[in-house]
Amino acid sequence: MSAAAALAGAPSGDLAPLLGRRLIIVTGKGGTGKTSVVAALGLAAARAGKRVLLAETGRDENLPRLLSRDGKRAGYGGRAYGAGLRSMRIDPYEALSEYLRLQIGVAPLVRGVVGNRGFRQLMDAAPGWRELITLGKVWHLQQQLAPGGGPLFDLLVVDAPATGHGLTFLDVPRVVQSAVRTGPLRRHAGAVEAMLEDPEATLLLPVALPEELPGRETAELVARVRGDIGIHVDRVVVNAVPAAPFPASVPDLDERLAALPAGLVLPGAPAPAALARCAAHLRSRYELAQEYLGKIAEWTGLPLVSLPWLPEGVRGEAELEALAGPLAPEVPR
Amino acid sequence: MSRNAEPVAPSALLASRRIVICLGCGGVGKTTVSAALALLGARLGRRVLVLTIDPARRLADALGLEAMGHEPRRIAPDVLARLGVPPEGELSAAMLDMKSTFDELVGRFARSDAERERILANPIYQHVSDALAGSAEYSAMEKVYQLAESKDLDLVVLDTPPAQHALDFLEAPERLLGFLESPLVRLMLHPAFAAGRTGFRLFQRGAARVLKVLERVSGLAFLEDVSEFLLAFEGMSEGFRERARSVEETLFGPQTAFVLAAGPGPQAAAQGAALLERLTASRASLAGLVVNRMRLWPGPGDGSAPAAISNDALAVLAAALGEAHGAVFPAQDAAAAALDLARGYASLVQRDAAAVEPLAGRVRKGGGFVRRIPEFDRDVHDLDGLAAIADRLAELA
Repeated sequence: MSAAAALAGAPSGDLAPLLGRRLIIVTGKGGTGKTSVVAALGLAAARAGKRVLLAETGRDENLPRLLSRDGKRAGYGGRAYGAGLRSMRIDPYEALSEYLRLQIGVAPLVRGVVGNRGFRQLMDAAPGWRELITLGKVWHLQQQLAPGGGPLFDLLVVDAPATGHGLTFLDVPRVVQSAVRTGPLRRHAGAVEAMLEDPEATLLLPVALPEELPGRETAELVARVRGDIGIHVDRVVVNAVPAAPFPASVPDLDERLAALPAGLVLPGAPAPAALARCAAHLRSRYELAQEYLGKIAEWTGLPLVSLPWLPEGVRGEAELEALAGPLAPEVPR
Repeated sequence: MSRNAEPVAPSALLASRRIVICLGCGGVGKTTVSAALALLGARLGRRVLVLTIDPARRLADALGLEAMGHEPRRIAPDVLARLGVPPEGELSAAMLDMKSTFDELVGRFARSDAERERILANPIYQHVSDALAGSAEYSAMEKVYQLAESKDLDLVVLDTPPAQHALDFLEAPERLLGFLESPLVRLMLHPAFAAGRTGFRLFQRGAARVLKVLERVSGLAFLEDVSEFLLAFEGMSEGFRERARSVEETLFGPQTAFVLAAGPGPQAAAQGAALLERLTASRASLAGLVVNRMRLWPGPGDGSAPAAISNDALAVLAAALGEAHGAVFPAQDAAAAALDLARGYASLVQRDAAAVEPLAGRVRKGGGFVRRIPEFDRDVHDLDGLAAIADRLAELA
């Protein structure tokens, strides 16, 4: 069994359970299946009896489609999916209105400001505030208390922007503090940074694929996070890892098929050469994935959690369950 | 491009345009497709540059350039000759350093060295110049424009940042202009504002109220820095504005073509369709679609109906395997596994084809070309891989 296979399915014993954190920021290159990981974590946490909120930050909402079939969107107000599980989309303008209302307390004034065309033009162009206000909203959600005391949410999972922008996303509180010398904005940026840098509460969870480019980008992300963004990272999720394609008794099936006589006719099936090509292709892709699992572990120096490749993609709860198992093995199915 | 006209094939496009912009969602191999388009252009005898604005080292990997930088690096003629590029064809690659492109712009439009230094030293400029008003995207457009004007190049292929940001990028010149011309920015440029609070109160109510709120949240010192930054920009903004307009004209002009790169599978195809929708709504003209990493059937015909692979073949296949490999070989298991694999693969082929068809159909209907690039056994990170993709791009539809 390869080193990567040994890690497959279950993180090694000294890794703390993911769901024990208060905030998990899931990040990764586009197309790695970040949102599916967020949804799977949400299902597992809810099953473990936690109150969990999943927050999307992209322009489009994808979580409602994965978690229910009713077609209802979540929006800024959020929506529920059965006991304990909610999702929302943090729209930066809505979060800004809310923030200004809290700061200034005069709702009509805030409406006038945020609705002002000049203000919109300025804000559309202004950098950094979207990231800051989004993280500020996360911070605010984390502070909120349930009516009976205790936090309103045990766990927040944030579907962060794709890697390149994900770094900007996490770096903004620090940048704001160096650009803004005094005032409430600086203070709030400080609170957000303290939240991100609390290793007990907060975890950055990178999602990669067992391929060259997502693997390298993840390694770069981990290096930068360790270098100047003080957020804790303790494992890498590798998504869509294909299973061994051949039975253990025939590890070289593709070669065996390729060695068959050229003239052999198979009734109701493609020619042996086509069968051999299919087998060879699936074997190469499998071996490539195994190779990159090893490389990602080496490049990042972190334990890997591998998630299975699902032939049909992630359509709903059945597939999310297959991802939730390896992510949160401590939660019984 | 007129509707329902015969699509311009990739080769014809690369032979005639000066700028080809490759758009697509994250994870579809857009950088690889861009590099392959550029290679095809060089094969047609043109002098081509491929420019990536993605911070990752992807293109450098694919092009075998160890340290790809701001300055274009030529690929050696003997390497290109091996890839089928004629002697007059050239291929170079560069990674766009957005910060220094923007700094260069400031340098060009500042009225004096002192002004230039003042802007470059402003704390706000230092923090925001790479993000202000889509200046990153604007810088990319500016660089493409500069390069396309160059007498040493016939064609520039641009690899854009993924998905959501890809279209921000089309709007970048307009957004930068909108920002520089917005009433609020003009108010902040008013000397009275820089003079301090008293002047600040004199402003018209709407905008003044906005500034007041901003001040309460961010502190006056921050707004003063912003104001100083904008003041420094004011002098040069006329030149800037003119420049942004020329850039925009080129971007949407007849010299430029857009190619959409998409991935296989339902999700990637849906993302591609969403991008197409937004592209159609802009003034960009879409020349075609490249679907990357599609699973294609390896045998003759499409052979891809999984139901057509029956177990009738099991006995014959097992017997043949047994005969070829001896009695100890588990021929029965091997035969069953081979047919299962083929069925599984055939259904993937079928699914990829079905997922892409609606998007491909829309592109064809709009007069664009469609090319399918297979998923190779190994991923493409080298020039031979790019050449294999360029071969596919060059094929007739």
